[in-house]
Amino acid sequence: MSADPARAGIDARLLEWMSEPQWRRDDERFRSLALELFAHQFEHCEPYRRFCVSRQATPDRVEDWREIPAVPTGAFKELRLACFPPERTSHVFLTSGTATSQRGSLHLDTLEVYEASLTDSFHRQLLPDLAAGQRIRIEVLAAGALEAPDSSLSHMFEVAVREFGSPESRFAVEGGKLRVPELQARLREDAHRGDAILICGTAFAFVHLLEALGERRMQLPPGSRAMETGGFKGHARALPRAELYAALAAGLGIPETRIVNQYGMTELGSQFYDSVLSDPTGPRRKLEPPWTRLRILDPASGDAVTPGEIGSISVLDLSNSGSVCALQTADLGRSAGEGFEILGREEGAEARGCSIAVDLLLSEGAR
Amino acid sequence: MNPESVSAQLASLTREGSALRERPLAEILVSLEAVLEGWRDPASRWRRELESRLAAATGFAPETLRQGLELGLEGWSGPALRAVVEAELGSIEKDHEARDGSIRGYASTAVILAGSIPMPSLLALLTPLLLRSPVLAKPASRDPITAALVARSVAEIDPQLGDCLQLAAFPGHDPACTRALLQAECVVAMGSDATLSEIAAALPAGRKLVAHGHRASIAVLGEEATRGHALEEFASALALDAALWDQLGCLSPIAVYVVGGGHEASERTASALATALEYAETRWPAGRVEAAAAAERAHEIEVARMRAAAGARVSLHEGADGRWAVVCEEDAQLRAAPLHRFLRVHPVEDLTALESAVEPLARHLAGVAQAGFGNASTAAEKLFARLGASHICAPGRLQAPPLGWHRDGQPVLLPLARLDDRQSTRPRAAS
Repeated sequence: MSADPARAGIDARLLEWMSEPQWRRDDERFRSLALELFAHQFEHCEPYRRFCVSRQATPDRVEDWREIPAVPTGAFKELRLACFPPERTSHVFLTSGTATSQRGSLHLDTLEVYEASLTDSFHRQLLPDLAAGQRIRIEVLAAGALEAPDSSLSHMFEVAVREFGSPESRFAVEGGKLRVPELQARLREDAHRGDAILICGTAFAFVHLLEALGERRMQLPPGSRAMETGGFKGHARALPRAELYAALAAGLGIPETRIVNQYGMTELGSQFYDSVLSDPTGPRRKLEPPWTRLRILDPASGDAVTPGEIGSISVLDLSNSGSVCALQTADLGRSAGEGFEILGREEGAEARGCSIAVDLLLSEGAR
Repeated sequence: MNPESVSAQLASLTREGSALRERPLAEILVSLEAVLEGWRDPASRWRRELESRLAAATGFAPETLRQGLELGLEGWSGPALRAVVEAELGSIEKDHEARDGSIRGYASTAVILAGSIPMPSLLALLTPLLLRSPVLAKPASRDPITAALVARSVAEIDPQLGDCLQLAAFPGHDPACTRALLQAECVVAMGSDATLSEIAAALPAGRKLVAHGHRASIAVLGEEATRGHALEEFASALALDAALWDQLGCLSPIAVYVVGGGHEASERTASALATALEYAETRWPAGRVEAAAAAERAHEIEVARMRAAAGARVSLHEGADGRWAVVCEEDAQLRAAPLHRFLRVHPVEDLTALESAVEPLARHLAGVAQAGFGNASTAAEKLFARLGASHICAPGRLQAPPLGWHRDGQPVLLPLARLDDRQSTRPRAAS
C-alpha cells in the first residue's frame, strides 16, 4: 500500500472495485475517483503539474474526467512521472529499446493495485471458465521475470502463472532464445494428456514457433486457448493478424475463436483483451475494465471522433495511481459497440517514402 | 498474377534478352538518352501524365509533386547518362560485350520497387537495360503509376527495348510470386531493412542482390550560417528540402545540427526554419497524411510541449493544424522523427560532438546538406563522408542528386554487371 495516506485511500477504493464479483460500469464512481486522483497527481508529480498549468487545466477548473490532461506516452522516456519520492520506488518497468535509444520507464512504489488490475482482467478475459481454486497449465512464450526484471510483460506473465498456473507451467524463453525443441515436446505431451492449456506470448514468438513447426500439425486439447500481444515492429517476419490466427488454428489446433489479442503497454497498469472468451456470442472487440475509459481522438484537433471513425487512442486508467492516470498514445483505434478495436499499422504495409523512422532505426538492435 | 505467370514472364524476357545482347551499347544508349530527356522535359506527355496521376495515387499535393520532379530530374539529361556510362564502363564505342566481353549484364534482372518517389524507380528500371539485361519489375504498391509509364515511354521510343521491360504486379506479401520473381539472375530491391532481409533470405543461391534500404538525411550548419541573410537563405533552402516529398524521402532532412553558437544559434535557426516552413506551405503544400502518421506526429508534438512545460530547454514552433513543426532541442540526443515536415534542431559544440551525436545514424545516412563552415568545410565534408553520407551538398540541393550519385556508396551501373577477366590464351614463351 502507498505510504501516502491520500493515495492509500484512493487505492483502497480501487481495490474494492476490482474485487467485486461482476464488472460494473459506474460512471459516477469513475468520475469521482478520476478527479480525486487527478488532484493527487497534480499535487505530487511536478512535471505533470507544470504540463497541466501550461494547459490551464488545474484541479479547480477540471470538472469532467475527459478534461484531465493526457500525457503522451513518449514523455515516459523523458521524464520521471511518479507521485512519490525516488527512494520509495520498488519497481521500474522499462519499454523496449537499446543502449543507444531512450527507454520509457514506469516507476511504482507498490504493486498492489497494478497486480490486482492485471489479475482481474486476465482471469475474466482469458480464463472465465476456470472455477475457483482450479489451475491451468500456462505455456509462456516469453522470458520470466528473473531473466527480464524490467519487463512489464514478463511480470504480468509471472503474476498470471502465480495466480492461475499449474505447477507444470513454463516460460519457453531462456537466455533470450525461444527454446523450441523443449516447447514442442511439452506441447506434444499436452496433446497426449488431453488437459486444456493456455499458451501466451508475443505475436512474434508465435510466428517463430509456427516456423519451427513447419508443415507439422498439433492438436492441443479442447478448451485450450492462446493469448498474443505486441506487433512486429522491426521484425523481418511480419504476419497480418488474420493470417497469424489462421496459422495458429492450423498449427496448434486452437480455434480462432479461442485466440485473444491483448492491448497493453508498459506505461499502463491495465490491459485490454479481445472479448471472444468472455463474451463468445458477441462480436470480437476489446472491453474496458470498469476502472478505465478509452477515447478515440482526432490526432490533429484532439477532439473525440464520431463513433466508428478511426483516431488515436487516449486512455484514462485509474490503476496508474502512482504515476499519471491519463495517457495519450500514438496507436490507432475505433469504437466498436460498447468496446473498441485496435488498428495497428497494417503489418507488412509498404512505407510511402524511403526515409527510415529514427525510432525504428534505434530499436533495430532489439531484434 | 500467380507464380506460374511470373515464371513464364521471366522466361520469355530472358529469351528476349538474347536479341538485346546483340545490340550495340551505343544504340541502346541513344534510345535511353531520349527516354530520359523526355522525362526531364516538364512539357512532355509522360511527365504531365505522371504529375496528374501520381498526386491522386500517392497523396502528394500537385504543386509539391511538380517541384519535386522539377528539381529531381533537372540534371538527369542524356549527356549525364552518357557520362555515367563512360565513367563506369569506359568508352562506349569499345562495346564491351562484342569486343572483350569484360563487362556484361545478367541474363535477367528483377526490380522490386518501393515507396512513392518516382526518381529511384525511373533509374532502377533503365539502368539494367543499359547493360542489355531485360527487366521484370514489380511496381511499388504505393505507386502503381510510375513503372507502367516508364515502360510505355521506353516502348514508344524503342519498341524492342520496350519488349525487354515488363511489369509483374502482385501483392507485396505474396511469397510464391516473390519466389518466382527471385529466380532472375540479378535482383534489385528497394524497401525497409525488414523487407530486404526477407528478400535476401529467400534468394536462391548464386543470384546477385543489389539492395537499397531506407535511409535518413540531415543538415548541418556552422555558426556563420546562423545569422542574418545567410540564415534566411539557408532556412528557405532547408524548408524546400524538407517540404518536397513531404519529408518522406531518404534525402529529406530529419534533423538540423547547429555546430557552435550554443542554444541561441539553435533557437535562431529553429525560428528561421519555422518562418520558412510556413512560407513553403503556401507554395508547396503538405499532402495527405495518413491517420497513423498524423497520430505519431501529434504525439511527438505533445511530447515536446510537455518537456517544455516541465522545464526542459525545448521550444516548439508549429504550423496551423500541425502541418509542420520545428522542435528546438536542448541537446544532440536523437529522438523520434515522425516525418511529414517535422524537424528537430540540435545544438552541438563542435564537429567532434556532431560525430558522436550522429554515429547511431551512420549506417543509414544518405545525405548531408551543409553550410557555414568556411575554411573548415573540407574537414566537415570528410567527416560526413566518414559517417556514411553519399550525397553531401548545399541546403536546397538534397533532393537533386546527380544522375551518377553513388547511392549507398555504390556505382550506378557496375553493381548490375558481371565482370570477367580474359587473359591471353597463348602460351608464355620460356625465358
